[in-house]
Amino acid sequence: MSYGYPQPVQQPIPYFSDSIQFRQFYAHKLRGLTENSKPAIHALSMIAQDFVRWADVVVQCIENHIRRIPPPFKLTAFYLLDAISKNLYEPYARHFGPIVVPLFLDTYSQVDESTKAKMIEMLATWRAGAPNGRELFGAVPQLAIEQEVFGTGTSSDTTRVTSAQVLGELQFATGQAEREMQSNPYNNTVRNQLPVLHQLRQFVEKGLSQDELRQILNQLRNITRPPVQPPPQSYPVAPNMSALPPPTTYPQYSYNHAGPSSAPPQSHPPQPAYPQGVLDVKPSFPPAPPVQAVSAVPLAPTNQLSVPAVSDIANLYSALVKAGVVGAPGAPPVASSNVNEPQPVSTDSSSKNISEHARKLLSQRIELSTTGIARYKPDFDELFLKRTVQCKQCGRRFSDDATGKKKLEDHLDMHFRQKRKANKNVGRGHSRSWFTALDDWIHDVGDLKGKSRADRPLTGKLAAAEEKAKREAELRAMFVVVAPGEEAKPFSCPICKEPMKCEFLEDEEEWVWKNAVKKDDKMYHATCHAEAVISTNTLAARLKNEERESRSRSGTPEVSVSTPTRSTPPRALQPRASLSPSPARTSGLKRKAEGDESSLGGTPPMKKFEVSL
Amino acid sequence: MSYASFDPNALTTGPKSDKGYREWGLQPQSEYRFELAPNTSIGIKLVDGYAECFGTELATGIAYLFGGECKAVIYTHSGCTLEVCGEPATEYTSEETAMGHYRSASILFEQMRILSLAIVDGAPLDGLNPQNVPATPPHILVLGPENSGKTTLCKTLINYAVRGEPWGHDEWSPVLVNVDPGDGAWSVPGSVSATSVSTSISTSTSACPLGLSASTAPTVWSSNALIPLTYWYGHTEIRRNPVLLERIVRNLGTRVQERLEVDPKGRAAGLIIDTPPAFAPSSSGDYRNSLIKACIESFKVNIILVIGQEKLHAEMQRTYGRSINVIRLPKSGGVVDRDHAYRQRVRNHQIQNYMYGQKVEIPNGCDNGEGSYLFQHEPTSDLSLAPSSTVVSFDDITIYRIGGESMAPSSALPIGASRTVSELLPLHVDPSSPSSGLLNSILALLASTASNGEQYDEELIDLPVQGFIIVTAIDIPNRKMTILSPTSGTFSGQTAVMASIDWQEIV
Repeated sequence: MSYGYPQPVQQPIPYFSDSIQFRQFYAHKLRGLTENSKPAIHALSMIAQDFVRWADVVVQCIENHIRRIPPPFKLTAFYLLDAISKNLYEPYARHFGPIVVPLFLDTYSQVDESTKAKMIEMLATWRAGAPNGRELFGAVPQLAIEQEVFGTGTSSDTTRVTSAQVLGELQFATGQAEREMQSNPYNNTVRNQLPVLHQLRQFVEKGLSQDELRQILNQLRNITRPPVQPPPQSYPVAPNMSALPPPTTYPQYSYNHAGPSSAPPQSHPPQPAYPQGVLDVKPSFPPAPPVQAVSAVPLAPTNQLSVPAVSDIANLYSALVKAGVVGAPGAPPVASSNVNEPQPVSTDSSSKNISEHARKLLSQRIELSTTGIARYKPDFDELFLKRTVQCKQCGRRFSDDATGKKKLEDHLDMHFRQKRKANKNVGRGHSRSWFTALDDWIHDVGDLKGKSRADRPLTGKLAAAEEKAKREAELRAMFVVVAPGEEAKPFSCPICKEPMKCEFLEDEEEWVWKNAVKKDDKMYHATCHAEAVISTNTLAARLKNEERESRSRSGTPEVSVSTPTRSTPPRALQPRASLSPSPARTSGLKRKAEGDESSLGGTPPMKKFEVSL
Repeated sequence: MSYASFDPNALTTGPKSDKGYREWGLQPQSEYRFELAPNTSIGIKLVDGYAECFGTELATGIAYLFGGECKAVIYTHSGCTLEVCGEPATEYTSEETAMGHYRSASILFEQMRILSLAIVDGAPLDGLNPQNVPATPPHILVLGPENSGKTTLCKTLINYAVRGEPWGHDEWSPVLVNVDPGDGAWSVPGSVSATSVSTSISTSTSACPLGLSASTAPTVWSSNALIPLTYWYGHTEIRRNPVLLERIVRNLGTRVQERLEVDPKGRAAGLIIDTPPAFAPSSSGDYRNSLIKACIESFKVNIILVIGQEKLHAEMQRTYGRSINVIRLPKSGGVVDRDHAYRQRVRNHQIQNYMYGQKVEIPNGCDNGEGSYLFQHEPTSDLSLAPSSTVVSFDDITIYRIGGESMAPSSALPIGASRTVSELLPLHVDPSSPSSGLLNSILALLASTASNGEQYDEELIDLPVQGFIIVTAIDIPNRKMTILSPTSGTFSGQTAVMASIDWQEIV
């Protein structure tokens, strides 16, 4: 499905040269949306459809709008968000996904009771709001909102080791190692440690089982913690660690020389900050002693400290390989056999590592002075031309690797679209745009090119959402190896009745059922099973379910049978049919796919229009 | 087209004109220079090898169109063959080029960017850190006397910067700042502006020395839709109101810093500041020191590049050498002395271009169908724009002028005398007065402030510009005036500022 190009405009809509103008226009239109009017919402979503290339602008406008307007009007704006996401879905639902959780929750806390009820109705429709019957904004935001609104039902499981928690600790260990590297770049032991840590991080991100996570966590703690430390079991805060941006360490400023700089590293109070808040963590780490202060004497202990650490990680790693957790074919660089050799970090696997090209540039020796520049004769073409592919139409170059080729593809698509646009616009007058408003200029970082706003500060809720995402990913990564000869046999999850997906896992060299877990000889979707376990255990969830159903407004059709599971089954194979699924079926085992159009629930009564392809 | 197929030992060949175009063979590290007469255009096609125009690499086999009295240079590092069609006023090749220095400097700045990004990312450097290169984003102030190639150097450095490859990110988007009000940069002369650049800036015409600001025309490269933040100084000469300029420079600096703070990764790309020739000591005036200081402070400059002039280099070294790296780069031999009349014509071009866009004739031999030529990076020769003309009532727009009507420089006042009118005071302009000077004057339409409440007059000068309009007719009896604006819109309730820049449509 491609929405790269706007469909012919069915109503007079001004022509926009750039996102700025469009932003102004859309924001202005939004301000007119003060009552729950079907035509108004329809018109605004039509515009969103026409300008799908500026989906990010639309999304930002709506978000800003919802945040700015007084509480009584917020619901209407949410109906618009809902309508756009459901009817247009791609890419809007994807764009709303990251912001919808805080937006919903913040709004929810501000509005009155009756609006709250309406919002909950709307939230219920989001469960199966996507065209494929999945959660409209993805399982994670849905869960995050529901847990916040209905109260969490997961508290029973405190000793669970989440991958987020492990990631947090990994992040910490990596940060520590990097700080060490910066203060002492020639410390080989730390240098060996880093790639291993990065590698581990990737595996954890891919998702590991409980046991493996616990194993990694324990090992990590042995490494980063002196033995005296009591073995801490559950940190409420630790998962949030992963939400921390990588430590910004400007060496010349950030070392505050708090500790006695000549003291050996062990004398620093080691990491007591864990159980405290996230924000407490960073400052209380002892700064690594600056290079010049490290005399020969304290160096030795540093090594003594780090050497076991490296081998520990290596041991852990090899244990994981043995256990089959870490696929051996996919993990070349970190050889478990020889840890003393500095291992190159594979560049494309982690954006955190400096690229080969950057290394080459850094290895050039130029003195920052008039004579230094005059004396230096770079082979510039060698540095900038040799490993690149060029766009034949404009001469722009891209690096000759997977990312570069992807960029070139996008770039050529862009040429194509522009050409089409140019042909379409023949005979039409263009004009210079007004300059953008100050606020937009300051904040438009990346807007124009659709870069993600990675720097949005993570609130607690977002961090929670991230944890959910990790948990979800972790569940989805679980699999059951297909018994020989059963590849063709269809399996359905007993909870959601959906067929299970069979896939070939390269790392394992086996056919497996994805997202699967085996319990009592029955195979379930791992996600369904987890949800089922949670919701059967939680009275509150059930109560909330019933309450919500009784609140459904009159326009909503039948209330479906309440069952302990409130899972929303994945319906990957279901043809996209109903764009406005039934809201009240929060616990439905099976949804009607066709002809279920009367149920609009929390969505404003707005008809779907076909999103043309 | 293989790089090896070009024989660098071949002598630089003069023009061979048999098929309507001339072929130039360029030696390694040499350049082809040309100047265009008014109303002529040429097309340059790279046939073989690698070539670039102020840091923008040329694609092979595509004719790049130049017009609008453009004076430019095609440089090759490893040798190339060019085809030129059309008749430039002057064309020659030269092996004396400063590009080698500019390239070295750009690699140095690239190192600074990489180091800063590595720190933001927490990427390990493995001891790669080059000595003596600060791990901070390069904030470069370019200084030099008139006709030393400041703007060209800025453009070249930006174009090299956007060719770099930050790992895991899209590309560098350094901020290009123009504090030379004599140079229109992205809009009209008299403005002071900044924009972030993420793809190469094209060189096609003198009217757009630093690329184009956004228009509704389809744009191929996103750099063609530069989004500048613009403030209005309103004069082409610094000495008209240095106090105002300093205030504007500081405002712009604050905004740019705010923008950089939003984006820690983008921050690593740094910024480059183009300055007016009046910052060099050849011109008199005590204001230049305070203006240079304002630039350095408000943009957190850590590198000063001085082109040519050793005196200026020594002065900067003495004043700022302790905290800032002061580097002198040679002036390129290709820089042409531009006289006053030429500069005046270019300014008119710029205003014309802001409103009406630009169109060039395709020289014979360049048009081989779609996609065979590029003008301003666009596959078209016609970038015309349609401005809109509106009649508004005198009461719709409130017009101000900043400072006294005809201010002599402070230094020209009798000793001990002070101004009667503050340089920063907005004075109301009455359009119904025949001596208002509004006719043909360029007005900066100020961005409306978010708060609709009372506004202090002096706050006007801190507002950025939304766009420029020109008063093309005044009807005093009916209290109406006709204004030309780049795009249609309503003007009621808007505030505009006039200054000393006029423009008349040449019919």
